[in-house]
Amino acid sequence: MENKSNIFLELKGVSKEFPGVKALKDVSFSINKGEVHALIGGNGAGKSTLMKILSGAYTKNSGQIIVEGVETEIGHPSAAEALGITIIYQELNLVQSLSIAENIFIGRHPKTKSGTVDWRTMNREAARLLKEFRIDLAPQTTVKSISIAQQQMVEIIKAVSKNAKLVIMDEPTSSLTTKEIDVLFQMIRTLKTKGVAVVFISHRLDEIFEISDRITIMRDGTYVATRDIDKITRSELISLMIGREMSQQFPERVSATGSELMRAENISDGVLLDNISFTLHEGEVLGFAGLVGAGRTELMHTIFGSRKKRSGSLYLHGKEVSIRSPKQSIRNGIGFVTEDRKREGLALNLSLRENVCMVAIQKVLTYGLISRKKETESSGEYIDTLGIVTPSAEQKAMFLSGGNQQKVVLSKWLMSNADIIIMDEPTRGIDVGAKREIYEVINQLVAQKKGIIVVSSEFDEVMGICDRIIVMCEGHITGILSKKDFSQEKIAALAVGEGV
Amino acid sequence: MVQNKLTSIWKKIWDTMGVWLICILLFVVMSVSTNKFFDAGNLINIIRQIATIGVVALGATFVVMSGEIDLSQGGFVCLCGCLCAHMIMKMGINMYLAILITILLSALTMALVGVVVSLLHVPSFIATLGMQYVLAGLVLLLTNSQPISGLPTAFTNIARGYVLGETIPVAGLILFVAILIGAFVIKYTTFGRSIVIVGENRQAANLSGISVPLIKIAAFAVAGGCSALGGIILAARLGSGQPSSGSDVSLMALAAVYVGGASKGSVFNTLAGTLIIGMINNGLNLIGVSPAWKNIILGLIIIVAVVLDIFRSRKSNT
Repeated sequence: MENKSNIFLELKGVSKEFPGVKALKDVSFSINKGEVHALIGGNGAGKSTLMKILSGAYTKNSGQIIVEGVETEIGHPSAAEALGITIIYQELNLVQSLSIAENIFIGRHPKTKSGTVDWRTMNREAARLLKEFRIDLAPQTTVKSISIAQQQMVEIIKAVSKNAKLVIMDEPTSSLTTKEIDVLFQMIRTLKTKGVAVVFISHRLDEIFEISDRITIMRDGTYVATRDIDKITRSELISLMIGREMSQQFPERVSATGSELMRAENISDGVLLDNISFTLHEGEVLGFAGLVGAGRTELMHTIFGSRKKRSGSLYLHGKEVSIRSPKQSIRNGIGFVTEDRKREGLALNLSLRENVCMVAIQKVLTYGLISRKKETESSGEYIDTLGIVTPSAEQKAMFLSGGNQQKVVLSKWLMSNADIIIMDEPTRGIDVGAKREIYEVINQLVAQKKGIIVVSSEFDEVMGICDRIIVMCEGHITGILSKKDFSQEKIAALAVGEGV
Repeated sequence: MVQNKLTSIWKKIWDTMGVWLICILLFVVMSVSTNKFFDAGNLINIIRQIATIGVVALGATFVVMSGEIDLSQGGFVCLCGCLCAHMIMKMGINMYLAILITILLSALTMALVGVVVSLLHVPSFIATLGMQYVLAGLVLLLTNSQPISGLPTAFTNIARGYVLGETIPVAGLILFVAILIGAFVIKYTTFGRSIVIVGENRQAANLSGISVPLIKIAAFAVAGGCSALGGIILAARLGSGQPSSGSDVSLMALAAVYVGGASKGSVFNTLAGTLIIGMINNGLNLIGVSPAWKNIILGLIIIVAVVLDIFRSRKSNT
């Protein structure tokens, strides 16, 4: 009985079905008051679906949701809010042009006697909340002028001010720097002391072990286990997640780099990038490490022609080329797996087949016309070789899990036969098993003498798969490391502009 | 399980063919409810009426699929009808040559609007609304507000004539062929595929090597060409270039596109939408509804169609 009253939310046999996919099968577990409960699982494990059910974005097909001892239906986001459940998505929901205070109190501004907005009370209340969470910002600051991390904190404060009892955070650290993560964790600890439960979804094991009390593991839409964090080891956790023992995180590869494939000289954009020069060789995996905002993504867009270049030149196979659009890049054999697959990589409403054939449509033409048969064959080939989990090539891209979507984006470029493939955070938001599959594809590509550029914010990832690592800080290259010099400390120091 | 399978099959049919079912249902209801509807003369009349709307709606489908909107089509219908008549009657240009010039000029002008939209980033809603006024002014300059009548039978036969004896109206045939070509372009050409991708996600399209501005400009040009063809059919039906014609064509064509379900993006569904709009229009005429009420009803239909379209695409997103 004692134990029962400590439970905030209990799930019993919750299931959810989409056309052709069983996203959640009979999931049962509970979340205690004031605990940090990590949720981990691979591609299509059902974490996002479950969270959307709790926040009222989806409705379950069967099962029970019990909140503070009372069975409830969460049919709408407002129902979740009334129960004290708030979700903080990766894409933040703030009004950019309004102030922090206005965002916190949006839709429920304190009013004066005559019915107008009581600015004084609103700003005072906001200031009090900011102070409580030890965030050094004025409540009048407009949201667009603060960093993503700070915006996330405003979201959390907004949730708290609405008396949230459960805050769900969907990969809150994915775009934060180490220092910002510390601040976030500080906030989470403050939430705990207030008795607020936090569900923390992340793929980063370090963070999970640091912040959470208990962890629930999901796999393929089913519940696997819930453990106290101090009673589980990393390898146990990983094997529960992928359902088999993990041999090694990064697959072996004999490094064999050949002649020069691409050379960038003195690339500047007049805004951030300043005199960037580097070379990429045949059969090489070249890593770009650095912190968020170092200009790595911007550099890749500049090389690919999707961002304006002020000066500098690019050589392919020793010959200077002028690239001013993605189209010219593709013609020159460059491919680009972008950071944000939903916004920049996929047409979510179209089928897997149409997405795979998006770049190399020329390859599936018969007498100049699109051949459905050839399209199905080509996309089927990548479904098989990359192990894309889908009912058929006609499945809409939006119904695929994150890892499978990433494989579809990768297929686009494999099909285009690019010599050089730039991959910006290729494993962000996908699970350990799928990550390894992506690394294996990279190894196969370099074995075919292609050159791969990998931009990644995870230092162990660039160290695990690259031949050389270029570290950037604030638009400059601060260091180029060859394999024998790899170390987390060196990269970290270069990334903050020290040890140059 | 069987029940489940049946509902999923039904859902599939409804998703792809729903508009056609509504279309057939409407046809049956109209045939039963008034004896004036199911009559050879009336049906052929409907086909002539919808030929213009249908051809124009085909052009609108291309633009809507690429993620833009064209409000200037009515203006082009009117100007192109008058221009073609002007070239034939006042300048003595060969009829076929005049038709060709009209279509090309209209496509070229819309391509320029496309340039303004995609390269200068003027919202298409504003650019084409402005264009509509420019065109209305040009019509007055060209015609002095006087109809250009006396068009030769060869020309009026485009809308009034038949092929294969008295069975198939030429206008209906033109519409049918245009729809077939449009559907073919969308499904089997790289241009058509590019339009679909640009409409779904222009950023992904750009990063996949599709020239987004070029595709949009081309989609606008197709709309321009279709509007001209629609204008020519209308002028042929009226037997003259009428400076006051075509005012409601933009609305009817867009209604047809949205009733057809623009988010699903199918040329054949646009045809179904056109038939539905044509039948409703005709039905309202048969029961003697005043033009004022007709406008109100059509306006409401377009809003409801868009609401349903949004509702449908939202449902398929969750």
